[in-house]
Amino acid sequence: MSDDKTLISRLADRLFEAENTNTPCAPLRSEFAPDNLALAYAIQEHNVKRGQAAGRRVIGRKIGLTSKTVQRQLKVDQPDFGTIFADMVVGDGEEISFSRVLQAKVEAEIALVLKSDLDMEQPTVADIISATAYALPAIEVVGSRITDWDITITDTIADNASSGLIILGDTPKSLSEIDMRLCGMVMESGGDVVSVGAGVACMGSPLNAAVWIAYAMKKLGQPLRAGDILMTGALGPMVNVKPGACYDARISGLGSVRAVFGSE
Amino acid sequence: MESDMSVIEKCAEIVDGAALGAFEIPQLTQSADITLEQAYAVQKASVERRFARGETLLGVKMGFTSRAKAIQMGVDDLIYGKLTTGMFVEDGGAINLSDYVHPRCEPELAFLLNKPLEGKVGMMEAYAAVEAVAPAIEIIDSRYEKFKFSLIDVVADNSSSSGFVLGNWRTKPEDPSNLGMILSFDGRPVQIGSTAAVMGNPVRSLVAAARMLATVGERLEAGQVVMTGGATAAEALSAGISVTAELEGLGRVGFRVEPD
Repeated sequence: MSDDKTLISRLADRLFEAENTNTPCAPLRSEFAPDNLALAYAIQEHNVKRGQAAGRRVIGRKIGLTSKTVQRQLKVDQPDFGTIFADMVVGDGEEISFSRVLQAKVEAEIALVLKSDLDMEQPTVADIISATAYALPAIEVVGSRITDWDITITDTIADNASSGLIILGDTPKSLSEIDMRLCGMVMESGGDVVSVGAGVACMGSPLNAAVWIAYAMKKLGQPLRAGDILMTGALGPMVNVKPGACYDARISGLGSVRAVFGSE
Repeated sequence: MESDMSVIEKCAEIVDGAALGAFEIPQLTQSADITLEQAYAVQKASVERRFARGETLLGVKMGFTSRAKAIQMGVDDLIYGKLTTGMFVEDGGAINLSDYVHPRCEPELAFLLNKPLEGKVGMMEAYAAVEAVAPAIEIIDSRYEKFKFSLIDVVADNSSSSGFVLGNWRTKPEDPSNLGMILSFDGRPVQIGSTAAVMGNPVRSLVAAARMLATVGERLEAGQVVMTGGATAAEALSAGISVTAELEGLGRVGFRVEPD
């Protein structure tokens, strides 16, 4: 047990170091069993606590590995989650230093903002709909503290589900205005279409991803609360970020949002 | 030395025969030295063979309009093909694999025109000529071995046209540029995309159709259907499956593949 504790803090330090020095580190997977997801989450939690101790505010969760294609690539059959801090939120069109996120990629998503707690046992899709205040178009800037994105499921879970930043659009919509399953998504950069998709790419519907996280957080004794932001998962393939580029995402029925990167 | 005409007629006979008999042929360009322009002449001659058998023209299909498709096929230019009555499959109908060589399908947005479009037209003018839109599935089937071909080969082979299924015509949306699309086999999504994959906006595909046809002295006519191009990679069909395409706000269209 105390061996585990030492291991958790050592591996959490490795990721924290990589983030702070802007230098990716070696994968963690050789250090513990490949199916020990609990240990991987404990590493993530260690760095979340470190952030909270430093005054960072937790504002929600992101759900990762929500597409069948990505699940197949990582040989898993379930999503994972990461933790979002307030200082990870960027406004629509605000310039982001290219060096702020290690090995950055972007993906378009639907963000849900809750108006009530999801602390019931075994939440359902109806509970999610009732608890959602509004949806926002969003872009997630994912990044990896692991060299060359050479990740397995445990590497990415430990690394806060490869979180970076989130850009939230400012056009709140009620769920009744959006076809969550069929809504089209297109991301353009420099006039070229760089990613397309639809709601169904995220676990059949972004609401299914929301049910999964609500269930998981309740089980962990940290239920989702009113005001929490859920980044439900990518609607299309991720795109490598280029310095100086702008990524403009449109989600049908929901509006648009932009990630603008500086050249350095 | 053979005359230009007889080379084109001979090539047309080969591709049309392969389509009719549902068998594979080697790439035309392995034995015939033809240009892209001549390939379109082969296409025209092969479609005229269909007319001679009693089929009539229903419209035009555009190809290689999405990056996913272009990458899948290793080409980088738009192409068109002709749609005839013999290729039409009813919504909810069935096809038999024995009528095809190695068919694949892809979800598309289809336009129905209410006025002619000829030559250089703008996007607004083009979309104004659209009477209605429908969810559609195109069944593509190259007659070439292993579905491998050059741009010239595929054009001569009527751009792999072999079947198309149309859903109900609907009032056109204000903006057709980002409608989500799902292609499902037996209810499970196999391809997911958006009409945005078609040149950023499928109206651009319609503009391209009018422009490309004008180079051979043809135009799009009122009442014709334009299949704007696959918005995802194509999926191979297999016996016994049920295929559905859904388009955001436009409903669905589907067909079955008969069991072996």
